[in-house]
Amino acid sequence: MTASRPSEARIPLAEAPAAGAVRVVEVGPRRVAVFCVDGQFHALADRCPHRGAPLCSLGQVVTGIEVRNGALATGPPDALVRCPWHKWDFEIATGRCAVDPRLRVRRYTVEVDDDELVVSLSTPR
Amino acid sequence: MLVDSDVHVGYETLLDLCDYLDAPTRELVVHSGTNGLGMPSYPWYHPTGWLRGDTYDRETTDVGAQLPGQDLDRVREKLLDAYDVTYAILTPDEAAAFAILPNAELAARLCRGYNNWLLERYLEEEPRTRGLLVVTPQHPEAAAEEIRRLGPRDEFVGVFLPGGARVPYGSPVHEPLWRACAELGLPVAVHTHFEGVGVAGPVTAAGYPDHYVEYHTLCGAGMCGHFVSILCHGVFERYPETRVIMMEGGLVPFLGLVWRLDTNWRACRSEIPYCRRPPSEYVWEHVRFTSQPLEEPGDERLLLPAIEGLRPWETLCYASDYPHWDFDEPAQTLRRLPAEWRDAVAHANALSFYRLPAPVAA
Repeated sequence: MTASRPSEARIPLAEAPAAGAVRVVEVGPRRVAVFCVDGQFHALADRCPHRGAPLCSLGQVVTGIEVRNGALATGPPDALVRCPWHKWDFEIATGRCAVDPRLRVRRYTVEVDDDELVVSLSTPR
Repeated sequence: MLVDSDVHVGYETLLDLCDYLDAPTRELVVHSGTNGLGMPSYPWYHPTGWLRGDTYDRETTDVGAQLPGQDLDRVREKLLDAYDVTYAILTPDEAAAFAILPNAELAARLCRGYNNWLLERYLEEEPRTRGLLVVTPQHPEAAAEEIRRLGPRDEFVGVFLPGGARVPYGSPVHEPLWRACAELGLPVAVHTHFEGVGVAGPVTAAGYPDHYVEYHTLCGAGMCGHFVSILCHGVFERYPETRVIMMEGGLVPFLGLVWRLDTNWRACRSEIPYCRRPPSEYVWEHVRFTSQPLEEPGDERLLLPAIEGLRPWETLCYASDYPHWDFDEPAQTLRRLPAEWRDAVAHANALSFYRLPAPVAA
């Protein structure tokens, strides 16, 4: 008989990551990173789809630099995670790679349940 | 078995070399400037970081530091053990700047200190490492002296020259350096570094680029100049045992140069009669290339047709470029090459080039 692996991880809301921070949890066989962007929690796989680096646990949460109306501006604050190896950026909210539309980080479900965050391996709605 | 032909190591600051320097040089290192001697460095800053984010401690690194040092324990953990590296060829980071320092005599003394530091801190400590001697191409006689001083030691397997230089490396002014290498059977590694910095010429004849991304795309241009210079000056005719490895300059540009140079040689060989054969023949016999950064075409199917003319099964040596941001992980790199090339690229070509002993099976 084999022990079943947990299908979810719970994080007390008091220990949930603040904007700009990351909290990595094990959910079954997967390492899942939880972020907070603009008050919303998001969960991404801790694996860069480019070359397999530990994207979230060793990467950096950063704010993008963009051009708006012809002027330099910063993007949504702390909305990107930057890979530690090749410095490619990924949108935390969508998992999309900012420099290669073919790549996307796997997203997982994170929900608030009373005073806890619940992270599961299901695909978010 | 894996040989990584490009692993950068370095001190945290020049002060770390003090115990390895002669007393007058130590005085200069400590008292120059406002708080010690600094090296010329890139006018372009990498916008997202020079180094792999997991290979240094950002919190304890000085603001504005360009190339924070690496220690042996971290190199072991992140590279040697992590990827089961058989041999790592250690290349300099900031110390490569000694080769483009205007004060050539000071540079030669710093080279001696650095090479002593490398020997004691890495090469004698970790049998999986081998070193390249940092020397002064801007002072070829001093370079030759340093090559003869430490080159006989087994821990050193070659001589490092950066892509940035005052004069292309085939020029007769560098003859003392080539002669010393030939005497000791040591190869020369030309590695992109410090183009447009110190006494080095501009990155290209177009003038200085504005951005790091331009620099990093063009930095192999200096190596192209050295490559053609070495071939056209008959270095391999004068020193038939000499080998050269071109590090981190890409592969595709060199193939175009080989073809073009062979064509030009047919019409112009009377100008360089000491280059007796088509230059490509010297390349296949004497020149090797490191793999990183292996070109990444948008359509991966285009990679092999673009590089096979360079005979990678004979000429290509795997390199990670650890700990830099464009690190190439070994398994992923080798997977991009045909199975029948992989042993040669992973270890056989480098073992032969550096004349490394094949490890004894445990």
